Amino acid sequence: MIELFVRLIRRPQGLVGVTLLALIAIACLFGPALAPYAPEKIDFLGRFRPPGWQNWLGADQFGRDILSRLMVGARSTVPMALIATFVGSAAGAIIGVGSAYLGGRTDEAIMRTNDAVMAIPGLLLALLLVSTLGNGAGNAVIAIAVAFAPGMARVTRSVALNVRNQDYVKAAIARGEGAVWIIFREMLPNVMAPIVIESTIRVSFAVMLFATLSFLGVGAQPPASEWGLMVADARQYMYQAPWGLIMPSTAIALTAIAFNLVGDGLRDALNPKDER
Amino acid sequence: MIPALAIKNYTLDYATAAGPVRVLHDISLQIGPGEVLGLVGESGSGKSSLAWALMRHLPDNAREIAGSLHLGDTDLQRLSPRELTRIRGRRLGMVFQDPSTSLNPTLTIGRQVTETLIQHRGLKQREADALAVDLLGHVELRDPAAIMRRYPHEISGGEKQRVIIATAFGCRPDIILFDEPTTALDVITGARILELFARLRQETGVAALYISHDLALVTRVADRVAVLKRGRLVEEAPAADIFRAPRHADTQALVQAVPRPERRLVHDKPGDEILLSASDIEVHYGRASLFGHAPPPATKSIGLDVRAGEILGLVGESGSGKSSVARALTGLASFSGKVKFDNQAITAARDMNAAYRRDVQIIFQHPDSSLNPRHKIGEILSRPLKLYGGNAAEIPRLLEQVRLPASYAGRWPHQLSGGEKQRVAIARAFAARPKLVICDEITAPLDVSVQAQIIELLLALRAATGTAFLFITHDLNLIRQIAHRIAVMRRGEMVDLLPAEDFDAEHVHPYTRELMAASPVPVG
Repeated sequence: MIELFVRLIRRPQGLVGVTLLALIAIACLFGPALAPYAPEKIDFLGRFRPPGWQNWLGADQFGRDILSRLMVGARSTVPMALIATFVGSAAGAIIGVGSAYLGGRTDEAIMRTNDAVMAIPGLLLALLLVSTLGNGAGNAVIAIAVAFAPGMARVTRSVALNVRNQDYVKAAIARGEGAVWIIFREMLPNVMAPIVIESTIRVSFAVMLFATLSFLGVGAQPPASEWGLMVADARQYMYQAPWGLIMPSTAIALTAIAFNLVGDGLRDALNPKDER
Repeated sequence: MIPALAIKNYTLDYATAAGPVRVLHDISLQIGPGEVLGLVGESGSGKSSLAWALMRHLPDNAREIAGSLHLGDTDLQRLSPRELTRIRGRRLGMVFQDPSTSLNPTLTIGRQVTETLIQHRGLKQREADALAVDLLGHVELRDPAAIMRRYPHEISGGEKQRVIIATAFGCRPDIILFDEPTTALDVITGARILELFARLRQETGVAALYISHDLALVTRVADRVAVLKRGRLVEEAPAADIFRAPRHADTQALVQAVPRPERRLVHDKPGDEILLSASDIEVHYGRASLFGHAPPPATKSIGLDVRAGEILGLVGESGSGKSSVARALTGLASFSGKVKFDNQAITAARDMNAAYRRDVQIIFQHPDSSLNPRHKIGEILSRPLKLYGGNAAEIPRLLEQVRLPASYAGRWPHQLSGGEKQRVAIARAFAARPKLVICDEITAPLDVSVQAQIIELLLALRAATGTAFLFITHDLNLIRQIAHRIAVMRRGEMVDLLPAEDFDAEHVHPYTRELMAASPVPVG
């Protein structure tokens, strides 16, 4: 584990990614304690105050400090997006590999069903699920996971089809291994690289999807300082106070970049052929 | 007289994270005008690096430490990129190993041939078209005008290699580098390509550097042979002498490793008891779609039986269905027909129970893909032990059995060489204590010397365990050394099934005779 971490931070991308993720993690853990203001403290004299010594990243339409809101909001944004992506990716990966392994008509049946689910836009599906299950962060996580699974299944299956034709899988079939062993131990480790990369990209989508759900009123509710909600709120004041839009967007983008960099680094570090 | 190509004291390093690795030590070679020099060496001996150095297409981490490369009176190392494009193809041709990857799949053959001619000989499109048809006809391609309009996937591997050779010769270079041009082709096609090469060479008098790992083959095409071992030149001699009187120990080992049918390695007789008998085996790939019929079976009612402790050879060119038979017998492909093993009748893959799976093991051709890259050797070997009874404590014994150190259990597959990986695959098969091992071209990707070691190992394991082998190969000389009986397949049919001694007899099938002619016995 330590060896893996050392290999990860030995490259500049890995190091930058890990540093950014560490900052995000600190914000998630200690955000409320470190924030200079309370996230909901309204200051009418400081409405739309540009970034400066009073409010480092500026203030929004109620004069609330954007930096403080971002630091507190990390907690309600990043972990949720992570869990949703993880659950969705895991489910999709297992469906994809299983489908590729079984092959023939079973594969056909699974993938056509999958395509049917994919035909429904992700947001619509998530909305449908949340409105069925009821509002709340937990249900939003489930909804996003379900919306992500089919796409992951497609990506995974295309890689798994190659792996399925490798001789080590044939050797496992020829010696009479069970399907569970072949799917989880022979095939899954060899399709991990694209899964890891695809999921790190999807973390940022998950953040945005949460924001959209919040915007539509089924996710986080105002005055919560969820990042996506902050973007949605600041939208109408874009010309007066662009920082209200830029700062949370940057936070989302940096989070996405951090996950991407770490994902790339992990792919290299996890590769046993990499000996540098 | 200026030699066509002169390499003088050439030394090459690759810079790696672990420090520089020397791949070529002080190489000096000369090729006279019209001469063919054969360059022989195992994989990793640096022969391809030398070819790339001559083409000036070395990877970024290559460091040329010393020496010079001269093409005629041109110093190759001093050329600018612009001058290089005029040299490559025009004065220095190259024919690569794998014809399927050296043609662009999105352009027609005609376009690729004429483009080269226009570029290097300054011809007009019309002249180039005429010359291309002429050249393609000259390499014995039927209906060259039609070939010109086709795409690479529409012609066979042998035809592709002919197109590449025609293009290389068409630019009238001073010298052509051949990097294992027949390795990716099957025996008969390869033999035809060699005949073509000999004829073109006589007609054009071009000089050539012919790189191969196969000493027997090189002595047939080259005037002189140079032997490369770990980046050092160990011997250089006229082709006629090197086989008869190799001076250096490494050359002697190479000569020794070349399979010769008259030197039998197996002297016992198999038992009379029939272990496995297969009859009317037809292997089916794909299934009937809604609007189409299923493709025809890959094999046409094959019948064969393997006796206890017997080595049965199965030979044929690529696409003859010999691997399909192996897949059917291990339940990897659906088949119709009957298999009888140990008095148990099997008609489909689902009839193969744990006992059958244990008794019949398969070893695949490519050791790189038959070992899971994410599993350590110890884990790979522990699976059959877990499935068929046995415990992990046996792993050191299994490794020792295939003459690998027990410490290899903690290694990853990519840390092993090709031959070592194949040993692990053999150990995995023998972990089950099988009665029959199916070897599907297991020595094809290996060097001749490694091949000899693997064969010796298999025979030693057979002596210790009494296992029978179904040995699938395209190398007739090799199989005639070890098999008790040999089956010959062609286009899904079995044309011959003879005891190994009877191959010199009169009554063999014409195809078998053709196969024997294509794999001549080395002289000396």
